[in-house]
Amino acid sequence: MVAVLNRQGAPTQAEFHEVISRSSGRWFSACLKITRNRDLAEDAVQDALLSAWDKRQQFDRSAKLDTWIHRIAINAALQLLRKGRPGVFEPLEIEVESSTPTPDSIRADEELGQSLSIAMSHLSEIERVCFVLKHLEQWRLKEIAAEFDTNIGTVKQAIFRAVRKLRVRMVSLQSEIL
Amino acid sequence: MNDDTLVLYYYDDGLSNQERRDVEAAIAADESVRARYEELRLQLDQLDTGSDVAAPTHMVQRWHDSIDRAAQRERVPVRSKPGQFNAMSFFWGAAVSAALAVGIGIGVIMSGSPVPVELAPNYALVDPETSSVVPGAFARGMQVHLRDTQRNIVALSGDNREDRTLLVMRIIQQNRLFERAAEQNDSAGLARVLRAFEPILLRLAADDIAPEDADALRRQLAFELNVMLTKLERDTSKETHKT
Repeated sequence: MVAVLNRQGAPTQAEFHEVISRSSGRWFSACLKITRNRDLAEDAVQDALLSAWDKRQQFDRSAKLDTWIHRIAINAALQLLRKGRPGVFEPLEIEVESSTPTPDSIRADEELGQSLSIAMSHLSEIERVCFVLKHLEQWRLKEIAAEFDTNIGTVKQAIFRAVRKLRVRMVSLQSEIL
Repeated sequence: MNDDTLVLYYYDDGLSNQERRDVEAAIAADESVRARYEELRLQLDQLDTGSDVAAPTHMVQRWHDSIDRAAQRERVPVRSKPGQFNAMSFFWGAAVSAALAVGIGIGVIMSGSPVPVELAPNYALVDPETSSVVPGAFARGMQVHLRDTQRNIVALSGDNREDRTLLVMRIIQQNRLFERAAEQNDSAGLARVLRAFEPILLRLAADDIAPEDADALRRQLAFELNVMLTKLERDTSKETHKT
């Protein structure tokens, strides 16, 4: 059996390359669903990798490296979204109409190319992000609330609205296909 | 029982134990609740399917490079302690730099050519991006790259782990450039083979690889490279005979 990687201590440079080759597409997709902007998603993965590299001594060997970096990438995407559009997460309690699609978001939707993405384009930013974190990233409600510095009830309302809109949209998409 | 409660039940989050039991009882007892929950479950399950996109090669390359650069930065030894200023060293340093700058400047003016770029020893002098313009030139560049890689792999010493890692990382970087060039030259098969080298090279760069394992990997790589070179040379000679 070939001794492939150092299983003790921090992940090695080779392990980072291996995990980038294997999992970066998944990180990029997740960040793209949050940001709906290719450049931001690319930067989020880049920031996550550098942050993971700097903190690699803290990596717990009982966890998976790709899952660890995935989580850091999601946080980086949320941070970039906040930085790029300050106040984007403020109207958490209010029902907001979905924003007008931008060229970036249209391109991201085309790239994701799935009915989910098309349906998600009808959600407001906060509804989309809460839904992605809950449904696709499987965050707990309290984690999402902590991320947005709000209470669980508010996050629930954003998710309920998202699910309602998505269900309506999915039904109409299905009837268009049929 | 409203749909919002069923949503929380679906996610198994946000309901107390008692509330969960109530939902379970309602689903078991009430046909309409069961039907509504089934519909909700199917629709939400549907929203999971196949929504990943592949990151473009240039992005993945950028991410690989950023790790290499971060690792490289850490390897650069810090020679001087902060706060200690040695006037004598500074004077000689400045004098030598000035003399070098003047010397290089004169050399450039006299020769009329740009400053030569220092390349890694034994490394392919072909830029895969530019050589991709002409397929023949691309094939020749690829051959040079493969031969150099083969030579470097054979000469790879197990004595100095850090040097070995650095050299392998350099080979990987060069390999990725040629992989990209192969894709641009519609040589998807070739790109795939080059991509397949990377995991082997990464294993070779691992910190704790045993010498006998490293030897086995080196032999495997040398063999694969040889096969690829032979095939390329055969293809090139066929092409030459045709013309």
